[in-house]
Amino acid sequence: MSELSGRFQELLGLLSSSPALAIVLTLGAFFAGNRLFRLLKQPLWLPPILMSAMLVSGMIVILKIDYAEYREGSRWLSVLLGPATVALGVPLYQQMHHIRALWRPILFTLPVAATLAAVYAVVIAASLGASTEVLASLAPKSVTAPIAIGITEQLGGSVSLMMGGLLITGMLATLFVDFTARWLTITDPRILGFALGLNGHAIGTARAFEIGPTAGAFASLGMGLTGIFTAFILPLAFRLTSM
Amino acid sequence: MSMLNGFLVLTGFFIAGEALRVLLALPVSGGVIGMILLTLLLMLKGSISDSLAGSSQALISVLVLLIMPGVVGVFFVADEFAGQWLAIGAALAVGTLLSVLTTLWLMQRFSGPEGGGHE
Repeated sequence: MSELSGRFQELLGLLSSSPALAIVLTLGAFFAGNRLFRLLKQPLWLPPILMSAMLVSGMIVILKIDYAEYREGSRWLSVLLGPATVALGVPLYQQMHHIRALWRPILFTLPVAATLAAVYAVVIAASLGASTEVLASLAPKSVTAPIAIGITEQLGGSVSLMMGGLLITGMLATLFVDFTARWLTITDPRILGFALGLNGHAIGTARAFEIGPTAGAFASLGMGLTGIFTAFILPLAFRLTSM
Repeated sequence: MSMLNGFLVLTGFFIAGEALRVLLALPVSGGVIGMILLTLLLMLKGSISDSLAGSSQALISVLVLLIMPGVVGVFFVADEFAGQWLAIGAALAVGTLLSVLTTLWLMQRFSGPEGGGHE
């Protein structure tokens, strides 16, 4: 019996040092998370990625795999992140003609709102004594994940903490846009969509497509433009403030 | 096959973005630079090939898979940021409420009177 458990340990050691196990865990959780999401009738407050990530975490704790080991094994996935970021240019191009309909408010809103989305979070966290690493992880909180990963690495933040903040921001933005729009009596789907994409990245955009195709188009636009703008402005701002 | 064709274009733009980032010492990731180059080129061209549209769609639909390893880390950094969770929570909750308010208010203000009605 003890011989068998020894072999089992050997097998686990072998598997966790190869990327195959990390791939199986991640892919399996991806499908299971999507399935659960549909089973639960697509709750907006519980995005599929959160369910998948919880499944992977549970599995690597049970299998006694170190997170660093899993991260190393799943590194091949990150290789695709670069081309996937480039791919975001396609929906941006497809929605670009919508700018013409609303170019004035977009031109005035985007730079101010995208900058403030980062400034509000950084100022609040700094005033409550957060470290520089935490500030660098919170700053890109409204940016879509593939772009935000690049920004956090530039600023020297923690990708994991940033991802957590990103998810919470996306869910909160969805909630707050619904609530605030009712309070300000805003019903224009273009404005609602743009606000959802600017503040709530992919999660907000998913919500916007539920409102309708117009809101979804403007959310994609807001998400893409915010990502590009923030990717340029944050590294510059951090460089200036640390001088 | 056509899917791989589009993938080749995307990866090519990514490498071009990386090259520009290193050569011009830009503080922006190669992916973002490649994304901007692709958007500009498509706007100039005014059309997009089916294979490029198809493989972009495919990659975007598995983005969740690609970012998952980073998200999993959230559950393992609790100790690392002990004592800062109040600051983090307040920044996310209050910060997001303020930025949503700012966005909606600015958009409404600059939309003018004709902004609300017609579609």
